Amino acid sequence: MRRVRFLIWKELIELGQDPRLLAIVVVAPIVQLLALGYAATTDVRNVPMVIVDADRSAASRDLIARFSASPNFSLVDTVSSPDDIDPYLERGRAWMAVAIPPAFGARLLRAEPQALQIVADGSDASSTNVALGYATNLLAGYAEEMAGRAGGAGRAGAIELRVRVWFNPRLESRDFMLPGILALLLLVVTTNLSSAGIVREREVGTLEQLNVTPLRRWELIAGKLLPYAFVGMIDVCLVVAVAVFWFHVPLRGSFVLLFVLSMDYLLTTLGLGLFVSTISSTQQQAMMTSIFFFLLPMMFLSGFIFPIENMPAAIQAFTYLLPLRYYLVILRSIFLKGVGLETIWPQAAALTLWGVAILSLAVVRSRKRSA
Amino acid sequence: MTRVLRTIAAVGRKEFRQIGRDRRTLLILLVVPVFTLLLFGYALNFDIRHVRLAVDDRDRSAASRSLIAAFVNSGYFDLVASVDAADATRRIDRDEVRAVLVIPSGLSRALQTRRAAAVQVLLNGDNANTATMVMGYAVTIVRSESARYAGPAQPPLISIEPRLWYNPELRSALFLVPGLIAYIAMITAVVSTALSVVREKERGTMEQVRMAPLDAASFIVGKTIPYFAISLASALGIVLVSMLLFGMPMRGSWPTLITVLSLFLLGALGLGLLVSSIADTQQVAFQVAVLVSFLPTIMLSGFVFPIASMPRVLQLITYGVPARYFLVALRGILLKGVGLATIRLELAALGIFAAVVLLLASVRLQRQWV
Amino acid sequence: MSAITVTNLTKRFGGFVAVDGVTFDVDRGEIFGFLGSNGAGKSTTIRMLCGLLEPTSGVAIVDGIDVGRDPEGVKQRIGYMSQKFSLYEALTVDENIRFFGGVYGLDRARLDARRRFVLDMAGLAGRERTRTADLAGGWRQRLALGCAILHEPRIVFLDEPTGGVDALSRREFWKLIDRLSGDGVTVLVTTHYLDEAEHCNRLAIIHAGKLAALGTTSELKARFADRTIVEVQTGNPIEAMRQLDATADVEKTSVFGTAVHAVLRHGAGDRASALAARLESAGLHVEGVAAVQPSLEDVFLDVVQHAG
Repeated sequence: MRRVRFLIWKELIELGQDPRLLAIVVVAPIVQLLALGYAATTDVRNVPMVIVDADRSAASRDLIARFSASPNFSLVDTVSSPDDIDPYLERGRAWMAVAIPPAFGARLLRAEPQALQIVADGSDASSTNVALGYATNLLAGYAEEMAGRAGGAGRAGAIELRVRVWFNPRLESRDFMLPGILALLLLVVTTNLSSAGIVREREVGTLEQLNVTPLRRWELIAGKLLPYAFVGMIDVCLVVAVAVFWFHVPLRGSFVLLFVLSMDYLLTTLGLGLFVSTISSTQQQAMMTSIFFFLLPMMFLSGFIFPIENMPAAIQAFTYLLPLRYYLVILRSIFLKGVGLETIWPQAAALTLWGVAILSLAVVRSRKRSA
Repeated sequence: MTRVLRTIAAVGRKEFRQIGRDRRTLLILLVVPVFTLLLFGYALNFDIRHVRLAVDDRDRSAASRSLIAAFVNSGYFDLVASVDAADATRRIDRDEVRAVLVIPSGLSRALQTRRAAAVQVLLNGDNANTATMVMGYAVTIVRSESARYAGPAQPPLISIEPRLWYNPELRSALFLVPGLIAYIAMITAVVSTALSVVREKERGTMEQVRMAPLDAASFIVGKTIPYFAISLASALGIVLVSMLLFGMPMRGSWPTLITVLSLFLLGALGLGLLVSSIADTQQVAFQVAVLVSFLPTIMLSGFVFPIASMPRVLQLITYGVPARYFLVALRGILLKGVGLATIRLELAALGIFAAVVLLLASVRLQRQWV
Repeated sequence: MSAITVTNLTKRFGGFVAVDGVTFDVDRGEIFGFLGSNGAGKSTTIRMLCGLLEPTSGVAIVDGIDVGRDPEGVKQRIGYMSQKFSLYEALTVDENIRFFGGVYGLDRARLDARRRFVLDMAGLAGRERTRTADLAGGWRQRLALGCAILHEPRIVFLDEPTGGVDALSRREFWKLIDRLSGDGVTVLVTTHYLDEAEHCNRLAIIHAGKLAALGTTSELKARFADRTIVEVQTGNPIEAMRQLDATADVEKTSVFGTAVHAVLRHGAGDRASALAARLESAGLHVEGVAAVQPSLEDVFLDVVQHAG
């Protein structure tokens, strides 16, 4: 046990000697957090649009004013004919065009039904959907208002819908994504660095020197992985602090539970790092493998950005193999739902199981004596 | 001149051979893009379907059943369970359902007496994207169901005819593919280049090469050409595979596409070289390379989050992200069939970026070379 | 009891046989040299003896322990220094010493004593705070040796310890090896420098994985007991070699610096002087022809030729 302390001490000195690496490991998470925190919104605001006003009446100007006033839209230009919208959409200067037909105002006064065309740029699918929704809502509201003014029963408002959103009433994307990025960051920092670090010792020759000493295998492994676990723990505290105090992401559950389960997660990421080091012969291989073979699929398939329930059944089954999936659920549950172990114990158990499995596999492969 | 070309060719050949021997890296550079593409095409999308719905029907009338049917028939919701209030909470907590429709006991009576009635939808908001869309669906469904009780069927005063250009089915795959190309190209070009130069720095082989009558420029050019070729091949491969497997349209011209790709990749390589001039060890090179390519390309280029919705400061930063212009240009060529003239602004931006990073990189590397 | 007993040690990598049935003994306190060209199997053998590589077959007994079966058993009692001088570049001299001392379980008192010994031995007293990366080759080499013997091992394995180091440092290093041997430590060292090989008590010549020759330097040189080696000083060694090769009396020739060594066949020793005449008549200017004592280089070339 005493000997492991020397290994950790050596590792920390080396880490301290490379200030650039240290900076990266501490600064990068913060930069990514800040960028993601500010960039991640699903609200689609300031959608650039053009309006075709073929009517030029008080009514059409009124409608145009409403679009202008809405925070969801940014009116780029008003044109007089539908043919004029091509260049805007082609160049991407506008995503949407609403075409107000001639005699719009007149028909409105006569309470005569008419149709408005909305042309949307479908190449940005997700935003388009949402933008269309906004436009539809705005027009529907306008229509109802006009119908009311035109008098008559119109519609006695039949069914109203009240929506209550749990856990994230402001529907802040960032509250959903920031906890997720903690998981990703830990993966990048601990897996990548630990695998590359071990391979580097192998390349330089000091690993061989360590193998010749009476150090036991578990001591060597612990000495290599614990420092990175330490770094990981610092990152956890850092990220949680920024998320909670800077971005006001709610932390409704227990921080202690979060910390403990994060250590659980680190078991898997470090085990993965060790495993990657046993299948890589150069540092480049180690880093590329951990990022492209493991991080990438995990990032896309674990529910970080794309919901798992949208995936085909076969792939959904596969996602049960991803420790990141469980950790994400744990993070979001603790942050947003404030639940405790009694609800998320299945995920915690799965994570622990996974961690032990991969760490064991990696340890078995890390023999002091080559075959 | 021929001597310069010959040295470049020699360095390039050596690099190609080194790459060829490192089977793992080759695998990653060529296979991972295709794999990720398949993932995007078949598994990943933003479309929301099969939303798990639970219903707390306190009215149990024909009207409530009709409303429930409307939800189910919309094709977006899967009715998973009938619950009561306490159960609902637990189910949402456990992620077993995403939404709970609560129908109050006075619905039917209210509708008959032509008074307004309110139904409630409880949404699991942890995934804001999903929640927003589900909310939209719910609003639409309730609205149309509501219209049935609005008296004699009247056509609405203003109806909306949406028409979608370029991507009529709003297929996420088509939207994501250009982003994927940018992402892959960035990562492989930037990362590989940075690593390859720093590796030589670390091993000290740079010193040996410097002894030869070889100037820095030829060395650098020779080193980056193989990665340029591989990234270009990779990107074109992705386009072709998407066209074949996913029916992605290619409405523009190939020369235009290759021009834009090349310009973008040039910038990426320059960025990789710049990173290599900053880092001394492979680990640092890798982390920095990933930081400057991964982060901006995914988050700040408009790939996932629309730029127009970001705070002003961030929007200004995105002007420096080449992927931003690349995505616009690429989508333009693939989906809209535009020509070079239309995207001249984007081409200029890409060109300026490439020129700036290459200049910076060469200045720094030249100084380190001497 | 021997310090090291190797019987029929073999290592196969797939179809390639790196070490082929090697057998030898090393006595306690001996400086035992492994001589051979690159790729001959020296490093592979050493790594098997240290428990770093698993043998394919054969037995290796180090300090009484069968390292094939129990590789960990000897590690507290052996020291190892590789060609790469495996030290931690980012650490200072002192930190490297403390690290390896700690790893070998030295308590504070003993560590302090050994630390002073090693610093003294390596000539690094006063430079404890220097970063290892900033040390020149010779210092690093001695520090590596020091770190390998902190725990006072009884047997020390040195794999090409003098690679890339200047001649002066090499000589200093071998003085240290002598000192170790004087203190009763068994040293097994591989080298491809022939002048260093002369320094060993006994030598094993390894070629293509096989043990081609074994013995003290005098025993090895006795190969030439009934063959004379003639050194020819001439201005045109290449041409001289050609001429000599064509001579019946000459078994083989080789270039030695600017001179040519010709190994005469058995019994042809007395006809040495005839060679000079023969070369002169061929038009070569001969500066000197004389019989010389066989050097290790001659031995090595001879062994390799007969083995291959």
